[in-house]
Amino acid sequence: MGRFLYLPLSLRVPLLAAVLMILVGVIASHQVLSTLDRVQDNRLRELARLHIEGLSLALGPSVLRKDIWEVYDTLDRASSTGSSRRMLLTVVADETGKVLAATDPRRVPIDTSIDALAEEAQRLDAITFARNSSHVRVRAPLVYQGRDVGKIVTDLDVRDMSAERRRAELLLIIGNTLLTAAMALVGYLAVRRMLRPVTQLARRMDATIGQPSPIPAVQVPRGDSEVARLFQTYNAMAEAIEARSEAERQLAERERFVSLGQLSSSLAHEINNPLGGLINATDTIRRFADRPDVVRQSAELLERGLKHLRDVTHATLEQNRIDQDGPDMSLDDLADLRLLIGPEITRHEQRLDWRIELDPKNLSGHDAGMLRQVLLNLLLNASNAAKHGGKVGLHAYLAGDALRFEIFDNGSGMPAPALRRLQGSEPILPGEGVGLRMVRELVGMLAGTITHLAPPDGGTRIIISLPCNPPTPASQSC
Amino acid sequence: MLSRRMFSIGAATLGFLSRQADAQTSFRLGLTPVFLDNDSETIDRLRTSLSYAAGMPVTLVQKRTYQEVTGLLLEGGVDAAWLCGYPFLQHRDELSLVAVPLWQGAPTYRSYLITSAEDPASGLTDLRGGAHAFSDPNSNSGYLVTASDLARNNLRPEQFFSRIIFTYGHRNVVRAVAGGLVRSGSVDGYVWEALTKVEPELTDRTRVVSRSEPLGFPPFCARTDRIGEPDLAVFQAALLQMAESERGRDALTLLQLDGMIRGEVALFDGILTRMQDLAGHH
Repeated sequence: MGRFLYLPLSLRVPLLAAVLMILVGVIASHQVLSTLDRVQDNRLRELARLHIEGLSLALGPSVLRKDIWEVYDTLDRASSTGSSRRMLLTVVADETGKVLAATDPRRVPIDTSIDALAEEAQRLDAITFARNSSHVRVRAPLVYQGRDVGKIVTDLDVRDMSAERRRAELLLIIGNTLLTAAMALVGYLAVRRMLRPVTQLARRMDATIGQPSPIPAVQVPRGDSEVARLFQTYNAMAEAIEARSEAERQLAERERFVSLGQLSSSLAHEINNPLGGLINATDTIRRFADRPDVVRQSAELLERGLKHLRDVTHATLEQNRIDQDGPDMSLDDLADLRLLIGPEITRHEQRLDWRIELDPKNLSGHDAGMLRQVLLNLLLNASNAAKHGGKVGLHAYLAGDALRFEIFDNGSGMPAPALRRLQGSEPILPGEGVGLRMVRELVGMLAGTITHLAPPDGGTRIIISLPCNPPTPASQSC
Repeated sequence: MLSRRMFSIGAATLGFLSRQADAQTSFRLGLTPVFLDNDSETIDRLRTSLSYAAGMPVTLVQKRTYQEVTGLLLEGGVDAAWLCGYPFLQHRDELSLVAVPLWQGAPTYRSYLITSAEDPASGLTDLRGGAHAFSDPNSNSGYLVTASDLARNNLRPEQFFSRIIFTYGHRNVVRAVAGGLVRSGSVDGYVWEALTKVEPELTDRTRVVSRSEPLGFPPFCARTDRIGEPDLAVFQAALLQMAESERGRDALTLLQLDGMIRGEVALFDGILTRMQDLAGHH
């Protein structure tokens, strides 16, 4: 039974239908057989009744006179006529049970008691016989002119009826087995066919984990059956999920710009700061063109400033990449993040505790775009929370088989609505930021978990745990 | 061909009509249940043969018991009867012999004591305590012989045997013994021998344990006061001359007899002795 429950529905229901058909077949066979038994019993009863009535009529006067010869003569003649072939042994006794004569006097001699035989015999109105019996013994009073004048015990040959019963049984069993098998097969196939759309639906749902796609209209069953409605519902659901994914994608897109926007002033400052030095350097070159050492010094200064500017713009551009399935995370990406958050930290005169205890191979397999977005959002959030002169940190390390990123600050702790957005799945209320919800969604997509800690000495500590072997095709060990 | 067939039909019709006309005056012969009592075809052939031999229509009258036939004869219900020596002697004063059949060349027969083929009994004394079938209480071979044998030893059948039954027919005695209804039976030796030819499968299941001395064969009798009547004389002559005509021989062959003689009452002295033995010991 337990194993049966593990069978797919598309097999279980047709099998159940087949089993029911077999059950019906067995019950029907049993009914027919018991009806046949009843009919045969009735037939035998009628035969026996006629037989005994005929004998009573013929034997009555002789039994009344206790004329042994006449009784024997009548029995002997009766048993030798064709119509009485069924009579194997008949014993006639007087009213006290003393045998007057039997068709086989050697077996049942005259003057013996009929009682032993009568005890084994069935009553005339309750005759029944088993399908393998060769004869049935019947007892009845010998009634003549309305009064009991003696007793009759007779063995009736029922071999033909037994054979008929066996034959009918065999035919019925063969016939019903074939019919039941056919019905079971038809039932199985019919129900299987009926369930085919469900199987199709299940297969489609299996094939599209997390990303259901609507079923083409041609494959949707016609009509307004439950299955058709199920298909339509599935399609509506798939379309809703598709729409939601699209909305999320757009949200993520927007969030990317939001975080960049938040950075823009400090980034502009970051770009602007070296510009004064660089202009000074070009002025120095122009003024001291004849002094190669000064020119070389200024050119080096220029190169350093321009490289810094290149790095900043590179980091900004990287953060703005929008293609999914982008490159894997690398230590360079973490350096980019530091570069991006650096001006914001400086602006708030905060201290940055930046500890990366990872090998490049630890990061591979994780989508750089998503992970960068998660970490940047959390770092910005931490920087905002730490206030002026506070402390912000990122600690990346390996804990067992998990990749951990701890983002912490010494601010006043994460307010409840923000925490709800980070950890819950309730809808975002109008006016609330979507950054933390984005973090939650992206970590989910990266198959990671978020832990929020509120240390007793204040501040906030968010731990992002990612599996070392992310569920992507390019999974590698840590 | 056609005319011959027409003649045959005509003759048959005439014969039928004449028999109808003579129904009142035909010769009535009473029959005890002899071995052929169950065979209507044999009875019919016997009637036809006797009619031709006697030259007049003969009606056969059958009764179940010897007593009934004898009674019928005595009261004039039949003109003659094929009786047994025993009832003839019982009514010796009123009855006379018409003819005595010859069987195996003599006007005598025997009574047989029979058992089933596998029974080990070698004589009457071995059969004590078993059931016994007699033919008729007024039959010589089917009762008197055994009863008188027992009487000579001061025994009565109902004491000697566990049970006695009367089958009212010699063939029935053979059937009762063959079928195992009774252990032994007293039967007419002539009937038993005749049955060995007609129904060997029946007699093969029986065995003759003992045979009596030769006794007078069952005779054809008539009332003494009617012996002089012409019909009876014609019938008597027909019987005595049966062996001489083809039809008569047919009838004799049917009955497995050789012929008929007038016979003497002394022929039945053996039976008379047995009657006296039985009466003397009762």
